[in-house]
Amino acid sequence: MLVKLYPFLRPYLAFFSAAAMVAASALSVRAADLPKVRIFTTGGTIQSKGANRDVQMEYNTGKVTADELIADLPELKDIAEVSSTEISNVGSPAVNQEIQLKLAKAINAWLALPDTAGAVVTHGTATLEETAYFLNLVVKSDKPVVVVGAMHPFSAISRDGPMNLYNAARVAGDPESKGKGVMVLLNDEINAARDVTKTNTERVNTFESRDVGPIGYADSDRIVFYRELSYKHTYKSEFDVAKLTTLPKVEIVYGYQEADRAAIDALVAAGAKGIILDDSGPSFGAAVAAWAPKGIVFVQSDRKGSGRVMLSESVAKRGIVTADNLNAQKARQLLRLALTVTTDPKVIQRMFNEY
Amino acid sequence: MTHPLLRRSLTHRLFLLATGLLAATVRGQEIPSNPPAIPADTSKLPHVVLMSMGGTIASRGTPRLNITHYGGKGTPPVTPEDWLHDLPELATIARVTTDDERAVPPAGQETYEQARKVARRLNELAADPTVDGIVVTHGTNIMAEVAYFMDLVVKTEKPIVFVGSQRPWSALSGDGPLNLYNAVRVAATPEAARRGVLQCMNQYINTARDVTKTSAYRVQTFKGLDVGAIGFADPDKVVFYRLPTRKHTFKSEFAGMDFPTLPPVEVVYSYQEAPGYMIDALVDHGVKGIVVDGTGAGVPTSSQNEAINRAQAKGIIIVITTRTRGGRVQETPARTASKIVNGDNLPPEKARILLQLALTRTSDWAEVKRYFDTY
Repeated sequence: MLVKLYPFLRPYLAFFSAAAMVAASALSVRAADLPKVRIFTTGGTIQSKGANRDVQMEYNTGKVTADELIADLPELKDIAEVSSTEISNVGSPAVNQEIQLKLAKAINAWLALPDTAGAVVTHGTATLEETAYFLNLVVKSDKPVVVVGAMHPFSAISRDGPMNLYNAARVAGDPESKGKGVMVLLNDEINAARDVTKTNTERVNTFESRDVGPIGYADSDRIVFYRELSYKHTYKSEFDVAKLTTLPKVEIVYGYQEADRAAIDALVAAGAKGIILDDSGPSFGAAVAAWAPKGIVFVQSDRKGSGRVMLSESVAKRGIVTADNLNAQKARQLLRLALTVTTDPKVIQRMFNEY
Repeated sequence: MTHPLLRRSLTHRLFLLATGLLAATVRGQEIPSNPPAIPADTSKLPHVVLMSMGGTIASRGTPRLNITHYGGKGTPPVTPEDWLHDLPELATIARVTTDDERAVPPAGQETYEQARKVARRLNELAADPTVDGIVVTHGTNIMAEVAYFMDLVVKTEKPIVFVGSQRPWSALSGDGPLNLYNAVRVAATPEAARRGVLQCMNQYINTARDVTKTSAYRVQTFKGLDVGAIGFADPDKVVFYRLPTRKHTFKSEFAGMDFPTLPPVEVVYSYQEAPGYMIDALVDHGVKGIVVDGTGAGVPTSSQNEAINRAQAKGIIIVITTRTRGGRVQETPARTASKIVNGDNLPPEKARILLQLALTRTSDWAEVKRYFDTY
């Protein structure tokens, strides 16, 4: 009828009908229930602006909200039904237990809803691995949680944030991502929260799992996984933040030639319940002998950045828990949660063996 | 009642708007729009020539998420002038002029003829006293070996910096703009001189001799596998930690020379039961040299070794490299006795280029070995 009435439209008919089909298929994708992914924002470089797009350091002229992140990336609408919750908007050195607990509880509430697919967390990169591992221990769900950040600010040329966020949402909405614990995604690489660490101050390929490699990739054609995790995490974890409002004080002491035990003594005096010894100093042994009997829990990690601290009967006899291949800052996250349950070094060693 | 002419012009305007939007989608790129102010007087800045040999960095794709099958019909390539237009901040670093040496052949069909033409042009530019540094863009697949060729044949102490990108110029979170920006910074840095041809992507500065593409898609693909990067293009400054010891550019025996053709040299890979007949076939085809990419410490199969003996009897020079892509193939009594050139830690594609150049000067295996020991 249309063609009969308006013969001059005939040459365009194929184009119009193709366009209509594209539009219809786009609508049908909408209708077919895209995965519900919520972005929990905490701040960081991914949400920072510099005065100009060549500003790649000391970018502090503005902060990007969750709404701006989403508006900047309309492609998200094609892969997920995206919503957002702002937890904070701070750089990651300012992320503290209050933010961590608020974040964990919000994610647990979201993932407990039956029709939700996953969660994305934006975070500054400096301490991203700590929050990611904390979440790995307290998220009560097998739905994917993907922590994402950026090395270049939102305003910069060649900013990595948008692609990272897009890929994080893809992973969070992908059924294959289920049961893989909390993941960290930057630079197309999917790393496990427990194993990943920031290895470079500046480069976009900063996040690496030095000992055991990435578990998969967010490539253009598909999300591909090569590894499952053998240790306990998320839905199999015994830790519960539901009733927690604070976490025990746990600090880190760095070991080096002639390192003095004064730092340990001062931390105990300041109220530390647990101390991570990152490598050793000549007088650390005496400090442990003095404080372990009084209930201070010591965990031995190693500053080298890869490799395990071995289980050792002689070390265990001195009341020291060994950190496996957790780095000091992650050992601290696990010890804080362990101390919400027990102060027995044997039980805590079991936790370090399992998580 | 609207005048028909005006109505047409409205339609026409709408049409222009629509096509304009379409063009914007095709040409559109993901670069935030807050460039810095350009200083009024840039006359004191170094003069950097931005040469395009094309590559992903000179390609567009649509939509901006397309980072695997870009280019082709409907996506116009990026001209050198487009780079200057899109990155006005280059003018804060250097007086950038452009030189368009884009190849006609697409990836996988690059020719020696094009490399030769560019080498001649680089020698001209390097000899020009008004030029302080040169940036060359190239596709990433064979960038390392083309850069190494230039490292051997361009006579200069000035910085020459190869750059490319893993994602097209139009891509979301594309690495091209920052890579190009940093390459120009390196080329404009006096400390970058006398280090041979450099390669800079993802802020790492590598030497042409030692850099290899190590990942199909990741942006940290270029690595100096054995000896690391020599410096970084960081936001605060361009910083160097190393100088290469091997001969290059101004110290190369091939510096400034032009070779209309190069002797045919091919590469053979080693693996379980790799047959010697592939080597025989190359000999029949008329090659002057063969690079055998051995396993482990540089070990061909026994079938390959027999074919190597047959090839050597016909005066063909054999170079052994290792498929491990790390570590040197060493000089051993057995190799010396059998007159096999140890390829040091060059990958086979670079050993091929050095062997081709060496064969323009000599066909004596010991003399070829000297090149592999010093370049």
